[in-house]
Amino acid sequence: MHTSNSQPVSEKAPGPRSPAHRLRTVLLLAFGGLLALMIAAGVSALFSLRRLHVLEQQVSNRFVSHTRALSEVVISVHIYDDQLAQFLLDDQPAGPRDADTQIAGRAAKVHSAIQSYPSDGGPQESRLLQQIEKSLSEQEGTSSALLSLAPEDRQARAPGFVHEQLLPRSLSILQVSQQIAYLNGEELAKSNQDLLTKFASLQARLKSMILAALAAGLLISLLGTFYVLRLERQGRGRYLALADSRQELEKLSARLLDIQEQERRSIARELHDEVGQTLEALLIDLGRLSKLAGADQRAMREHIDRLKRLVENSVKTVRDIALLLRPSMLDDLGLIPALEWQAREVSRRGEMEVEVHSEMASEQLPDEIKICVYRLVQEALNNAAAHASAKNARVTLTQVAGKFQVEITDDGQGFDPRRVRGMGLLGMEERVKRLAGKLKIESRAGHGTRIVAELPFNDGSVPVVP
Amino acid sequence: MRKTRILLADDHQLMRSGLRLVIERQPDLTVVGEAADGREAVALAKSLRPDVAVMDISMPNLNGIEAAHQITQIHSEIAVIMLSMHPDESYILRTLKAGAKGYLLKDSAEADLITAVRAVAQGKSFFSPAVSKVLLDDYIRKLKRSGAEDRYDLLTPREREILQLVAEGKSNKEVANLLNLSVYTVETHRSNVMQKLNLKGVPELTLYAVRKGIIS
Repeated sequence: MHTSNSQPVSEKAPGPRSPAHRLRTVLLLAFGGLLALMIAAGVSALFSLRRLHVLEQQVSNRFVSHTRALSEVVISVHIYDDQLAQFLLDDQPAGPRDADTQIAGRAAKVHSAIQSYPSDGGPQESRLLQQIEKSLSEQEGTSSALLSLAPEDRQARAPGFVHEQLLPRSLSILQVSQQIAYLNGEELAKSNQDLLTKFASLQARLKSMILAALAAGLLISLLGTFYVLRLERQGRGRYLALADSRQELEKLSARLLDIQEQERRSIARELHDEVGQTLEALLIDLGRLSKLAGADQRAMREHIDRLKRLVENSVKTVRDIALLLRPSMLDDLGLIPALEWQAREVSRRGEMEVEVHSEMASEQLPDEIKICVYRLVQEALNNAAAHASAKNARVTLTQVAGKFQVEITDDGQGFDPRRVRGMGLLGMEERVKRLAGKLKIESRAGHGTRIVAELPFNDGSVPVVP
Repeated sequence: MRKTRILLADDHQLMRSGLRLVIERQPDLTVVGEAADGREAVALAKSLRPDVAVMDISMPNLNGIEAAHQITQIHSEIAVIMLSMHPDESYILRTLKAGAKGYLLKDSAEADLITAVRAVAQGKSFFSPAVSKVLLDDYIRKLKRSGAEDRYDLLTPREREILQLVAEGKSNKEVANLLNLSVYTVETHRSNVMQKLNLKGVPELTLYAVRKGIIS
């Protein structure tokens, strides 16, 4: 048939709860988790590093600012002391008032240096600073008392004051400042230690995260491998099942064809033998009856004639049906005369002219091949006349070593064999496949159709059936 | 007068009894045996030696054509009439090749049976009249398609005469006697006919004659 009535087989998609789908979800989640883990590890490591860096900066800033402030204090104390000593020991001071304000300015500088010392130091540090301030204040008191003296008095007492009070005090302030520097250094070491610990913990965390990621990756790749293997196994199983069911289907369709032919044959025989023969006998009896009726019984003879025509019609109908079901020519005459008969029948109906050419060596063909070829030709000619409106068709039979070939060509409209797969063509394919043959259909719109079937066949013996 | 002895071969009892009734109403004809298949027909033909065998084509075990072939091979004097449903040249040619003398359509069996039996009993051929028309139609269509012409016109009157006599089942000798010619001349005419009409063998010649309505 040139009309396609093949139905698309809808593949049932696996349900959302199928194992494959679940596994896919698990794998997706696992891969997503792994990726998230790695990103989280990276981000947290970056943040930690940044925090460590900031901490380190703070520590070093603190150390530097403390050291600088301390040296400021020490230097200002030193300058103050120096100036004081110089003033006291100097013989020609520029003027007591001048010196007074100068020394007071130095003292204020020292105080301001102490004041500007960062307040984030420990209690020990501030205690030491207070100590410096206290001794400085004491010194200030003493020195101002000294300064208020008359220059002679002052000159007399100055060296003693410088040697006994100023220098030792200065020394003690230096010692205290060294202590502060030491404290500062300790603070720095402690902070560095702290930083190191933090860095080590970051390292440990990173290590554990990398290990976790590796483990997860391993797990996922194991899962993936398992999944792929399982899919492969399932695929193979399905393929085998498909091949099996296909084979089954082929067997079934071959069996169906056999049964169909048997059924047709038995129905044809039944029709022909029972109905047909009874009708034929009835015809003969009616003829005799009509003769028995005398010439004067015209009405009766007309009646009988009408009956005869009715029976003749029935005989013809029954015969046509029986022939369609099982062409008795195949049994009576063999394949080629049967095909020639078929060709003439088509021609007689005025649909199309059919020629049969045969280059057959022997007519000794197995029944399967005869039926197959006969039905192929029947179907092809039917299609050519009914669907392709062909005017001429040609059937060619050839027999080459071990092969039997039938070719049917027509000059009809043609069709696209890749798209059109009607039941008729499918039936042809089934028949040919069943006899381990090959069917080729060549057709193009407007260029007619050529159908070639090749059937394996050993001369005179049974056909090669798989 | 000796009655013409007839063997009926058909796998259907109804058909046989119908034919028997038609035949037995004739005083000069008698049914000597009935066979239900081809094998039985061959066996009965051998043992009963009938003059005429009326045989259905489609029969189980051995079909009518094969049975006719076997019978005429052994006893060429037995005239076989084939009973068929098909007015088709494939059938006629095959039955002629099998040695049958008559071809009777089942549709007209009742009307033509007696004529057919009498004709073949006298050594003539018989073909149901309806056959000729179908064959001629087929033939004309074929000629039209191939563009060929009917070559019957090429035959001389003598050749046409000989064509008819040979197709009717006469031997060269009988034809020679009838036409007052030598057997050799008849043979020459006959081979000319074959050549002009492009025919091979007597069966094809007979078929041609039936088709042209020269004999029936």
